[in-house]
Amino acid sequence: MRPEGAYSSLLLRVYAALFYAFLYVPILVLIILSFNNSPAMGFPFLGFTTKWYGQALAGGELLTALVNSIMLGVVSASVATVLALLASFGLRHRFPLKGLVFPVILIPIVMPGIVSGVLLLVYIGLAGLPYGLWSAVLPAHITWVLPFAFLTLHPQISRFDTSLEEAAMDLGARPAAVFWRVLFPIIRPALIATLLFSFTISFDEFIRTLFVISAERTVPIYLWVLIIDRVAPFLPAMGVVLMAISMAIAGAGFVLTQRTSTSPN
Amino acid sequence: MLWLLVFAILPVLFLVCLSLWTATIFGIEQTWTLANYQTIVSDAVYASILLKTLRISAIATLLSLALSYPLAMFLVSLKGRTRSLFLLLIFLPFWSSYVVRSFMWLPVLGKTGLVNQILLALGITNAPVEWLLFNEGAVYVGLVYVYTLFMVLPIFLSLDRIDPSVIEAALDLGGKPYQIFARVVWPLSLPGVWSGCVMVFLISVGAYVTPQLLGGTSGTMIGNVIAGQFLNTNNWPLGAALSIALIVMVAVLFAIVGRRLGLKQLFLGARA
Repeated sequence: MRPEGAYSSLLLRVYAALFYAFLYVPILVLIILSFNNSPAMGFPFLGFTTKWYGQALAGGELLTALVNSIMLGVVSASVATVLALLASFGLRHRFPLKGLVFPVILIPIVMPGIVSGVLLLVYIGLAGLPYGLWSAVLPAHITWVLPFAFLTLHPQISRFDTSLEEAAMDLGARPAAVFWRVLFPIIRPALIATLLFSFTISFDEFIRTLFVISAERTVPIYLWVLIIDRVAPFLPAMGVVLMAISMAIAGAGFVLTQRTSTSPN
Repeated sequence: MLWLLVFAILPVLFLVCLSLWTATIFGIEQTWTLANYQTIVSDAVYASILLKTLRISAIATLLSLALSYPLAMFLVSLKGRTRSLFLLLIFLPFWSSYVVRSFMWLPVLGKTGLVNQILLALGITNAPVEWLLFNEGAVYVGLVYVYTLFMVLPIFLSLDRIDPSVIEAALDLGGKPYQIFARVVWPLSLPGVWSGCVMVFLISVGAYVTPQLLGGTSGTMIGNVIAGQFLNTNNWPLGAALSIALIVMVAVLFAIVGRRLGLKQLFLGARA
């Protein structure tokens, strides 16, 4: 009997099948309903139509929200990745209170979602700054994304062999050259993966956006407003569009990290 | 670091200040008082909703653990490409917003939803049942669905780290499968279990979207009450005090679990 024999029983496989069904049936339902030619959201299935996709995209509101979300995601992912990179490099040196860095970086993750949401509302409100996409939502997103970027990047940087840098410097390379010619090519896959993950985390974020966005819309906010307003028949189509976008981007990130983690460092 | 100081630590201090002020019809009055905390403790509504949130989160965490552990065992039993594929299939749904993932349950559990459709077709009921949605049960379904990845992943990682020869040795010594599980596999997977439980509990405690969409009035959690104080009632100081109460409860939990395991392990094992 192989040791894994204890694991891979038939029962476990049946269970896994049920579990995957639990994960995917709701998604399947959403996709089916997005093509349902029925004036109300739900079953029975009254025929195939793509008109809900047309309606979801009509009016340009979704498009505006999409553009907002993408720009926000790009900027907050870039800033957070750079900050995480700096923090990871900083952690390779010794300095006082170093032990505090890790817990502090984790604060935004540890904070309950609802509290993070109202936190910035209060902060910006009391500071007298304007609410809105760039003044309030952007800092909120960078703060939220930063720990994830750090947790993805830090393991890659911390196991990086310092002798390569030392060799480059011994050969007379200037710090900038060491970074761009030696460090950067090696950490590039990890950097891209971090950027993509950070982007999806920002793109999907809702509660940390809701309270400080005022009248502007990101995609999750737009969807939320529609859901709360009334259960419209084009909502499934909208959900499918959003899911497809996030999954495509995160999927690319996943493939990249798989590649970096399997390749030798 | 400075960034976090400005956007993560300072706001908390602001929140503490705010929780000590009073809300009047004219706005917020900056007089120092503990009245908001007294309200939370003495007003049964707030105290009970805090306890209820802890209860819902704890149950959702245990449900998630019970559902995820066997799946993690299944994933560990796989090899190579099949393993990557099934892992990817676990990740995939979690790459969409939790707003979408909570919303998806409306057309499944709703009056015209999938479950009712099946019940009607099978003749189990002759009218759509309505108790599937807008209650605590629906919140459990939603929370478990939305956050299982955070449970499956750390458990999978810790199971994967178990040296097969350890299990082999146990088998050679005549251990029965359930004995091996209880004495060898389960104890060795505990770091992952703790990490997963902490993550799921933490996210559940701060949930707003899932209870708002699926919970109805009986499934309300503290997140909805806090949001209400800021969005509807406009009693910011009370909302702030409720937030602080929540943070303190979470911090106490962390102090207990973190002492046993260490923060680093808890989070580097649990990164998404």
